[in-house]
Amino acid sequence: MTEWTIETLAAAIEARRVSAVEVTEACLTRIGRLDPTLRAFITVDAEGARRAAKERNAELAAGRRRGPLHGVPLGYKDLCFIRGLGTSCGTRTPEYFIAEDDCTAVARLAAAGAITLGKLNMTELALGAFGDNAHHGHVQNPWRPGHCSGGSSSGSGAAVAAGLALGALGSDTGGSIRLPAAACGIVGLKPTYGRISRAGGMALSWSNDHFGPMTRTVRDAALMLGIIAGYDPADPTSSRRAVPDYLAGIEGGLAGLRVGVPENYFGDGLDPAVAAAMEDATRQLDAEGARLVALRLPDPQPLVDVTGLITRAESATIHARILKERPAELQPVVRARLEVGLHVSAFDYLQALRLRARMTREFLRQVFAEVEVLVTPTIPEPAPPIAEVTTPAVSEVIARMGRFSRFTRPFNGLGLPALSVPCGFSPQGLPIGLQLVGRPFDEATVLRAARGYERAAGWVTRRPSLG
Amino acid sequence: MDARRPDPSLAADLAYLAGVIERWATDLALAEEPARFIAALEAGAPGESVPRTSK
Repeated sequence: MTEWTIETLAAAIEARRVSAVEVTEACLTRIGRLDPTLRAFITVDAEGARRAAKERNAELAAGRRRGPLHGVPLGYKDLCFIRGLGTSCGTRTPEYFIAEDDCTAVARLAAAGAITLGKLNMTELALGAFGDNAHHGHVQNPWRPGHCSGGSSSGSGAAVAAGLALGALGSDTGGSIRLPAAACGIVGLKPTYGRISRAGGMALSWSNDHFGPMTRTVRDAALMLGIIAGYDPADPTSSRRAVPDYLAGIEGGLAGLRVGVPENYFGDGLDPAVAAAMEDATRQLDAEGARLVALRLPDPQPLVDVTGLITRAESATIHARILKERPAELQPVVRARLEVGLHVSAFDYLQALRLRARMTREFLRQVFAEVEVLVTPTIPEPAPPIAEVTTPAVSEVIARMGRFSRFTRPFNGLGLPALSVPCGFSPQGLPIGLQLVGRPFDEATVLRAARGYERAAGWVTRRPSLG
Repeated sequence: MDARRPDPSLAADLAYLAGVIERWATDLALAEEPARFIAALEAGAPGESVPRTSK
């Protein structure tokens, strides 16, 4: 059961072939067996999960089904506030973040019937691309323990890949959903800026934060997105746009879809295994009837720099207290990245926000007049060994982080929907991710393209060998 | 830590970022403001072509 998709499990529970209690126990057993190695969870709420599972069983017995996730066990990145459970945000402080109300996205999933298994490990303050955490343990890649899981939603990626949870929530400021999704061989969707409320979640950068689903299949991502998307008065940046039925056209296939293949930036510095996987993926897209369009993008690097300045200024502002009062508690790389933001001038910050608006307009005009979806690698290399990204000097780690996340960061600045789907494996057996990017609020087309590729490529059936 | 004076090791990073802003912001229109980012996303969204829920 723990290897099933959310859709399959939810249908089985509705049909009374399995119960919420049975699947919750199966997840808790698997967590107990595997998580001492994987370190995907910071908090396992076994008691709360068992209680909720019994309630879901009783509700179903009484003829009440809460929604499409009735009885489905999920996990949440430990920056989502849930009353009664600590929210460490990956710091050593168990209750680092406290909100007035539960995280809206979590509340919507619970209202749809989901069961909370617990809070998932993450890079400290969501400031990191590799998934290492000195306080709560480095999250291990389920495909090859000893290698990075990707971050910052590291526990979310590892838990879903390892079958500890059926799905998870992550957050993404520079790639933090897509990087662990790619590294762990699952699907991760960063939707359009404003598509999902971030209320009740720790902020890293108000201008660049996005929440999103992390699942084993594209259909499951669409299912979760449909539940958590939509306006929320508690998050003034959330969009008032109506929410489509993301599953309605998802099997529509790739025929005739104009898919952009960038000629610049996204081919630079690729590991040979990633380059080969990208070639195979574009061939597969072509074979499925997509109209591939080679195109030269506006150089993403200035946008990455401008967005980075915004994130640095905002993250230092948001987390100034721990940075100024308890800096020794922070890991050296996290502290160094935060400190820069204390020195960004108001002039540069505001100019960066103005530039971002202009760059977004120009990118949309130049690129999406030609195509409906872009495809790129998610990460230029397979997940490296953890020691390679934890032992070098701070400046070297930060530089490598920049290279590791250079393909995901442009789309935070642009606010565009971007999804990572598995597209192959390295010779060492580490997953490789394909990133699909769409027009604003056009998650439906991104999901349809990703599902078309997933169905044709077949990588979705592979699972890590964890026993 | 003195927040007014950056650590020397951060100075290069800050100088680089300030240079990026200086280079790219020279021809910003007076009308350009941060909120136009949201307007750009709204304007760039395709027309409605998929079924919608009531949310």
